[in-house]
Amino acid sequence: MTINELVGSVGLKPLSTFEDRDISGVFVSDMVSDVMAGAKSGNLWLTIQTHKSVIPAANLVDVSAVIITGGKEIPQETVELASKYSIAVLSSELPTFELVGKLYELGLGK
Amino acid sequence: MSECRHQWNMTNVRFGFVAFEKCFHCSGVRTFFSKEESPHLGEAYREEEHFWSRVENAQSLRFDLVCSECGRVEDYTELMGLLHCTGCLPECEVEILQQKLEKEKTWLVVAFGHLPPGSDEPFSPEKMKILTDHFNQRRDTSRSRIRVVSFSLIKDFTVCKGEFIHDVGMLSQEPPAERKPLF
Amino acid sequence: MEMRIIKDVLGASVLGGEDRLGESVEHIYASDLMSDVLAFGKPYSMLLTGLATQQAVISAHMAEFKGVVFIRGKKPKDGAEQFARDNQLVLLSTDLDMFDACARLDESWKKEHHALEKGATEYKREEILLSRELCINGNDFTNAGLVSTQVKSILKKIGLDPKLVRRVAISTYEGEMNVVMHAKSARVNLSITPKLIEVVIDDEGKGIPDVQQAMEEGFTTATEEMRAMGFGSGMGLPNIRKNSDELEVSSEVDKGTKVQMRFFI
Repeated sequence: MTINELVGSVGLKPLSTFEDRDISGVFVSDMVSDVMAGAKSGNLWLTIQTHKSVIPAANLVDVSAVIITGGKEIPQETVELASKYSIAVLSSELPTFELVGKLYELGLGK
Repeated sequence: MSECRHQWNMTNVRFGFVAFEKCFHCSGVRTFFSKEESPHLGEAYREEEHFWSRVENAQSLRFDLVCSECGRVEDYTELMGLLHCTGCLPECEVEILQQKLEKEKTWLVVAFGHLPPGSDEPFSPEKMKILTDHFNQRRDTSRSRIRVVSFSLIKDFTVCKGEFIHDVGMLSQEPPAERKPLF
Repeated sequence: MEMRIIKDVLGASVLGGEDRLGESVEHIYASDLMSDVLAFGKPYSMLLTGLATQQAVISAHMAEFKGVVFIRGKKPKDGAEQFARDNQLVLLSTDLDMFDACARLDESWKKEHHALEKGATEYKREEILLSRELCINGNDFTNAGLVSTQVKSILKKIGLDPKLVRRVAISTYEGEMNVVMHAKSARVNLSITPKLIEVVIDDEGKGIPDVQQAMEEGFTTATEEMRAMGFGSGMGLPNIRKNSDELEVSSEVDKGTKVQMRFFI
């Protein structure tokens, strides 16, 4: 599944400009250190972190998209930095736990 | 003996703060890595001819690398953290290189070591290469690449606005702004 | 959902509160950011987190959660386990990552959707009058949170409504963190009458120049530098106002700040 396909199927709001690409697996964490150590190329990263410093970390480990859950307001500087790296920043109204349930039903687990 | 084609993984990830101390007397700056949970800016203290005072604590994280094939551990005790360049100073070597590499879809990351920088480069070319390899092994390099460079490229530490990659808000007790109700 | 089922579904090991596994939780909350837990976590939840520190357990306790599951095989530091024991929290540890843990729980949750039981028991309310004085030391981050924990356990013992206890605990916690971060020391007076609970935090410190401004959402005295560091920002007053029935703040610069909060029973 690609990012654009996902956006339509679980009601995500794309905020940055990005290149569409395949998604492989999901990584859920609000800790940048965990993502740095454990996320894999192409992962979706689910977090409630909105600070712009998540973007350099996301870029470093090559995640396909950052989904910010809980309907949080996302600072413009975060979106701009993501666009520079062509990383998708998507916003979801659902809390992390509920969104995971939906992604799992779509078969995005393993 | 055949050479191992190392597959690097992060290990021993630990977080803390890069504490910056400044001497009133000589205006020198030095750093150390602090594992305090909530460090604060301290009062000045004397050490021989210096009067050190903690002027900044920048949250950061450190790690070592281990090869999943042969088990070799490459430790990065001299690494205080990875710095994201914000392009604050056009004439800074980091920014100049970043501008150049961006055209080739290569993203720059700065490995930050201890201050004051000694006369020797703290990061050997091999260590830099291993760090760079690690991040490129983890990504789809047909799209873009990573290049890790040493902090000795930074033109002026006192004005550098680079940001350490760190766990944001992990210690904050402030409630975030109200989010919209779901129903 | 019974916590024993959570344990089985996640294949988790029990780090504490074995005797409480039969109790139920009403929600699952997945987060590593404790400010988020305090602000949005609902009572009687189970927290799933990768933050293995004492602050995680204290925050879960403040937000009236029933337990904490540490993911990716994380185990909290010793202090956290002791704290959980003292405050009757269930602590579990699973090797699953956050995604798998949430996915599995979501599946079993949907299966037993109808069988949700209220975890809250009926508390008996007695007519008592009580007053306590406690102390907070500024800059003492190791013990930050302990005074509000004491306040909470006193109120719980009396048998007040857990939702009310939670509001008092969160407000006191925010007040306590303000003292730890911004003041030298403070005296805390807790008094309970049959009609209300009053908490007064009277600190010696630099004071607040503009109280009105400090009460506004999003106001912070932290410098850009401090915020970049990820801590110390904000005064927590808006959250106290949200959780209390009456709030009075008076302050004198370079002397200190007095925060009086009241909660109607």
